[in-house]
Amino acid sequence: MLFNSLGFGIFLSIVFLLYWLVTNKNLKAQNLLLLFSSYFFYACWDWRFLFLLIFSTGLDFYTGIKLDNSQNQGARKFWFWLSILVNLGFLLVFKYFNFFAESFGSLINTMGFNVNPWTLKVILPVGISFYTFHGLSYVIDIYKCRIKAERNFIDYSVFVSFFPLLVAGPIERATHLLPQIKKKRMFNYPYAVLGLKQILWGLFKKIVIADQCAEFSNLIFNNSDNYGGVTLILGAVFFAFQIYGDFSGYSDIAIGTAKLFGIDLLRNFSFPYFSRDIAEFWRRWHISLSSWFRDYLYIPLGGNKGGAIRKCFNTVIIFTVSGFWHGANWTFIFWGLLNAIYFIPLLLSGKNRCNIDIVAHGKFLPSVKELFQMIFTFSLTVLAWIFFRSNDIGQAKRFVIGIFSGIAKGSNYIETCHLLNSNVGYFIMLMMALFILIEWMGREGQFAIEYLFSNSSRPVRWVFYYLIAFVTILYSGSKQEFIYFQF
Amino acid sequence: MLRKFIFETVIFVLLLVVAFSLILFRADGYTDPFYVRFTTSKKSNLILGTSRAAQGIQPSILGKYLHKDFFNYSFTIGHSPYGPVYYNSIRKKLDFKKSEGIFILTVDPWSISSATNDPNDSSKFSENNLCVGNTYFVNCNPNYFYLINNFKGKYYKLLNNTERSSFLHEDGWLEINVKMDSVTVAERLEKKVAEYRKDKLPNSKFSSVRFEYLKKIIQLLNTRGKVYLVRLPVHSRMLEIERENMPKFDSIISTIIPMTSGYFDMTKLKNGFEFTDGNHLCKESGKLTSKLIADWISAFEKH
Repeated sequence: MLFNSLGFGIFLSIVFLLYWLVTNKNLKAQNLLLLFSSYFFYACWDWRFLFLLIFSTGLDFYTGIKLDNSQNQGARKFWFWLSILVNLGFLLVFKYFNFFAESFGSLINTMGFNVNPWTLKVILPVGISFYTFHGLSYVIDIYKCRIKAERNFIDYSVFVSFFPLLVAGPIERATHLLPQIKKKRMFNYPYAVLGLKQILWGLFKKIVIADQCAEFSNLIFNNSDNYGGVTLILGAVFFAFQIYGDFSGYSDIAIGTAKLFGIDLLRNFSFPYFSRDIAEFWRRWHISLSSWFRDYLYIPLGGNKGGAIRKCFNTVIIFTVSGFWHGANWTFIFWGLLNAIYFIPLLLSGKNRCNIDIVAHGKFLPSVKELFQMIFTFSLTVLAWIFFRSNDIGQAKRFVIGIFSGIAKGSNYIETCHLLNSNVGYFIMLMMALFILIEWMGREGQFAIEYLFSNSSRPVRWVFYYLIAFVTILYSGSKQEFIYFQF
Repeated sequence: MLRKFIFETVIFVLLLVVAFSLILFRADGYTDPFYVRFTTSKKSNLILGTSRAAQGIQPSILGKYLHKDFFNYSFTIGHSPYGPVYYNSIRKKLDFKKSEGIFILTVDPWSISSATNDPNDSSKFSENNLCVGNTYFVNCNPNYFYLINNFKGKYYKLLNNTERSSFLHEDGWLEINVKMDSVTVAERLEKKVAEYRKDKLPNSKFSSVRFEYLKKIIQLLNTRGKVYLVRLPVHSRMLEIERENMPKFDSIISTIIPMTSGYFDMTKLKNGFEFTDGNHLCKESGKLTSKLIADWISAFEKH
């Protein structure tokens, strides 16, 4: 059941009405409804993996109580490591086993031995990377005595399985979400309206921007050896917009949906392409994952403390693991490493926290310096996305070489103009320009259209929302999955 | 406040639904090669089969000579090989109130084969998740169910459809307008032959389940009129592949001929048919083929 499908619209409407009209007087009933709807939502993807989700939830719930109850340090360590190993074991089996087996086989083969690695024929359970990280953060927080264990299984299960965040985040923390689940929720009109606006904007980003850009980035990446440098740049830029529209669009729909139920989810994106350096980009891109790695990996490793070598080592580790989290492929690892290379000079020169505030805060236009900083940072991220999108390192390498070797040829510009004219079309270019403008104008909000036209009269606002909705409908059709569902 | 929220949301969504319905209302024969077939009323004279029949048999020509209102309910080899899915769809399209209908069932090795590992495991058949399988309502206009579930591409294309190489007529005939110069046709033939040799020939196996469903369809239609089996002409190189694929096709079909009013094997005719790609008859040859079928049925009807 995709967020951008009619089925989800019907499902959401039914759960919403039951939640506020039938179960509204009883918190327990509301949470039970959320849990069953979440399990139904998950079962629509693949009911077989529902058992894995329930088992993982049960294990972390039980481990949490055991950790809380144990005074003995040895017993606490036992339960802690049991949970960590089982959770990571699931990830290893379903997500990484084949990668390790094949990589090991390739390594042995390069040594002159002929090995045919044994691989598993399993499909990746949707959302496993996300709900596993929910569970891990919960158990780590109890082990570190930051929180007490949850004693109500239903409440804990809702924390892990709440349907808006179940398949692709945001990766929540028990400290943020569990208290909301345990508290009585009252219907809040402005908050629900805000939720609907965020859903609308998320759908626009996904359907109009991401899915359209996907068509052209797929065309260019799938035939990258046949295109010149300028077209390859265009393909990489299209992918940059695709992945942003896709994942931030998904996050907006998830966060907006949660708002309809009176629940606030962690912010996941904060206009990352308006960043002035890579450090700022990583504070604004997939925030819930970046902060997870910061809190549960980077800081335990020592963080910024220690000498330059230690700092570099920690940075490389966190970015490599972050890349690997995205998928079992060397392309993701290289993408992570490349971002570490971008980040380390800022860290070592102490400039990694120079740009904390919102760019051109309170102004309509950025300064020339800011503009150049944003363009430079965006170019770095686009270069890194090439590795993220490519099927293998070889393709990425050829893609990058293709860009730099062919950029000076005049014929390449003609080829790109022809592609734009015949395949891409100017309407989508116009939509992208409008998208950038709206995002820029709304960059001080939680999402682009949060405050846009908020002071205008109702008819003006409604016309604006109708325009967004109408363009979204026109560009809908064959459903495209969200990229992050595969992670 | 909750009531206000629900009321405003319903108003907002309703207006969008109206706008969306108006867009869908624009769907027509240019929309895709299938849509119009799901928008007509129930029919009592049907042409059934795959894309060969969809493009090669023109209901208007049959109607002219047989004085009946024919409807082409053929799709493609992926969508409508004989099997449970096609059987159920035909049941929905068939007008059970009328009898004395004429039903033309086109047959070839591919329409009773399957490329799945087990050719008799109907749960794995390719058509299960395609439009013939998942369109529950096949007689409503506009068919929103079809457009929401099966329309490929973006809905704005319904407002400005520039695709003009194919048009699906109200009677279900799929008209194809492609270049018919000898060089282009030869290129398409080579491509099609290579595709069938590479993909279809090695994987496609006779399916007794499909064959049983062909019999079931014949039995069903026999209750509403006369059933005629036709094997449409194909290019000699395609015929060669079919013979390699199912050498005993003639003897298999001969077992069901007694259940029907007759079998017309047009692959043996030497009428100089022209094909767009070796597999599908071109428009003019389709007209000739339809006339030959009409003459053949007339001869039967007179007896």
